[in-house]
Amino acid sequence: MVAASRHLLDVDGLGWADLRWRLAVAAHMRAIRDAAPGGIGALRGERVATLFYEASTRTRISFELAASALGAAVIPFSVGASSVGKGESLVDTVRTLGALGSTAIVVRHERAGAPWRAAAHFPGSVLNAGDGWHAHPTQALLDLAVLVRAIPAADGSLAGRRIAIVGDLLHSRVVRSNLHTLIAAGAEVRLAGPAPLVEGFAHYADALGRAGARSSDEPRGRALLCGGIEEALEGADAAMALRIQRERLDGLALGSAEEYRRAWGLTEERIAARAAPDCVVLHPGPMNEGVEIDPEVADGPRSLVLDQVAEGVPTRMASLWLALRGLDAALPELPR
Amino acid sequence: MSETTRLLRDVYAVDPRVGLAGVATIAVEGGAIASLAWRDGAAAAAARWRDGAQPLADDPGLLLLPALVDLHAHFRQPGATASEDAASGSRAAAHGGYGTVCLMANTEPAIDRPERLAAAIALQGSVAGGSPAVRLLPIAAATVDRGGSVVAPLARLAAAGAVAFSDDGSPIADRAVFLEALLAAAGAGRPLIEHCEVPELSAGGEAADGLVATRLGLRPWRAVAEVEAVERAIGALREAVAQHPAARLHLTHLSTAAGIDLVRRARTEGLPVSCDVTPHHIALTDRWLAGDRHWSWEVDDGDPLAVDDGSAYATSLRVCPPLRSASDAAACRAALRDGTAVAIATDHAPHSRERKEVEFGLAANGIAGIETSLSVALAAHAAGEISLARLAAALTTGPADLLGLAEIVPGFAVGAPADLVLVDRTAAWVPGRDTLAGRSINTPLVGRLLPGVVRLTLHGGAVAWEG
Repeated sequence: MVAASRHLLDVDGLGWADLRWRLAVAAHMRAIRDAAPGGIGALRGERVATLFYEASTRTRISFELAASALGAAVIPFSVGASSVGKGESLVDTVRTLGALGSTAIVVRHERAGAPWRAAAHFPGSVLNAGDGWHAHPTQALLDLAVLVRAIPAADGSLAGRRIAIVGDLLHSRVVRSNLHTLIAAGAEVRLAGPAPLVEGFAHYADALGRAGARSSDEPRGRALLCGGIEEALEGADAAMALRIQRERLDGLALGSAEEYRRAWGLTEERIAARAAPDCVVLHPGPMNEGVEIDPEVADGPRSLVLDQVAEGVPTRMASLWLALRGLDAALPELPR
Repeated sequence: MSETTRLLRDVYAVDPRVGLAGVATIAVEGGAIASLAWRDGAAAAAARWRDGAQPLADDPGLLLLPALVDLHAHFRQPGATASEDAASGSRAAAHGGYGTVCLMANTEPAIDRPERLAAAIALQGSVAGGSPAVRLLPIAAATVDRGGSVVAPLARLAAAGAVAFSDDGSPIADRAVFLEALLAAAGAGRPLIEHCEVPELSAGGEAADGLVATRLGLRPWRAVAEVEAVERAIGALREAVAQHPAARLHLTHLSTAAGIDLVRRARTEGLPVSCDVTPHHIALTDRWLAGDRHWSWEVDDGDPLAVDDGSAYATSLRVCPPLRSASDAAACRAALRDGTAVAIATDHAPHSRERKEVEFGLAANGIAGIETSLSVALAAHAAGEISLARLAAALTTGPADLLGLAEIVPGFAVGAPADLVLVDRTAAWVPGRDTLAGRSINTPLVGRLLPGVVRLTLHGGAVAWEG
């Protein structure tokens, strides 16, 4: 199981108890960060390489900040400037990093499953920072942290909460990982998007909904694919818009950004008409404001977008700590 | 290689050429069958064949078949001999029980002109030390450089020894070119073998469209890409037979229930079309990509969404067309049972470690399957999925007759050349670097216990494999 492993490849196997522990560790890391802005030495001696085959701003920077906040050395690996540019394979690169003494690698790759290939050839920990369309575990964990703070059920989970996720599901690793964590937290996930961009999700949402909880005392939500954004927003306690890549608009009947906004944009008007009055709004970034989300929503009072960004560092501190020290290790003490 | 003398006593012999099955004792002398005695007589053996050649209660476990015929393999020579060559491929084939292997034309360079065909035959002969352990039959490209735009000189290629024509790996998209190739192949008296895929529909596909692909974030290789290609190919054949009665179309490695059904209906209509299925599409499913390791026919009440982190995204499973659902695999087996599929063809596609030890979506397509195909077929038989009679035919007479080469599977007759395989159905083996004879071991069956150990493969009365 992933839960017990030295890697963080995905969040698929995590039940609510596992997730709650990860949230607790992240909260502890946030407290450490507040108490010691200069960092602590809990992971001193560890060497964390960030291996990003795809461009990234917030994920990469927050992983690097997280590693240094815990005293680990950061090896920023620039794919363009390295032997990868000369055709070195992922496996060779990972072996080289292992031989050079890296104890953890953080991998972002455009191909699904790449972190699994890396994990098979690396002696230390592999943390998935996003693989193709497949998974983005730390994004899902930080989204969960933000949501359980904003719209908790009485028991602190998301049991009974309705969360709409709208947009390009097909190409989204964010939605795939969020489906696992949100359902495990008890939420009802209401999906919607343009037909070509939700391929396979009706069947998938249905299968996820039928899978049972890991134990009978854990919540278990469900997912469904809705016919449109209005239906997805019906009674929603939270709504997440997914980034639409402009080049993908060409493949849709919706030829322009303005047409996409009209059909699928997260607007205040839509939220006010359909969602719960206090519905909060998330976006994994980077945003196309005025396309999948209106600026007044993204920057307005419902928005938790900056909370998501801020949650990135403590979530990744927790993920690094748990991968390198194990699930059972005593947490580093808060500095006085 | 010298001709051998053997006495095969009390083996369960299945002869799909004559249509006989029963316990027999066969003597091989000087490379030919010298004597043959059915324990309970030829009439009983004929009746048993008609009943599907089910083995007897006191079955000795040693199964004797005609040496197998593979309609579809890649030995990578010339071009990519780091993965396989004629010598290593022939050893692998003999280990798998094969006496005849048809080699696809997608070598480097492609076998699209008589000079290249002659050169390839000479090269394969010399590398194998004069004469390969098994019979290698070349399939030539249907179009120049397998480019799909100009039909290759098929009559001259046939005269130079091509047994069929195929651009395997690259479908012929242009209908006019496809029709012209069908007619030219008909003129040359050979079948056209088509790889059915509409590239715009499968583009970039990594896994069959379905729950597993959605779950694992793999790009969908849509079933419709095969189905639509099958439909187009049959449409072109309908046109071709109106112009040339000898036109024949064979669709290789079909993987979808809907595609197979189109072939079934066209055959009912009387069109000269057939198909083959691979061992992996019979026995494996896309759930193997998530780490599941059940045969496709095994009842599995496990979580359809489960992922095993230790074996997910194994690149040995990257293959084109992709592994599909259990119901598609069942359709492949049904096609064998009712004769819609005339052959089990391995699509043996060896790849070096370098081409497979990469990200799943960047891995080369293909499974090295020629050494395990008989074992997989026997596993399906043991599960009650296919009779020994259909299994034997699909591995021998089916492909030979498709090529119009009935003589390469002469059947068990006194005086006939001894082209035989003896397999111990009661023994098992585990594929791995030490047990596989081919140069590449890119098969998802590495490490798995498989039924059926090939004890002896005879080709032309000489020992091609003994184990």
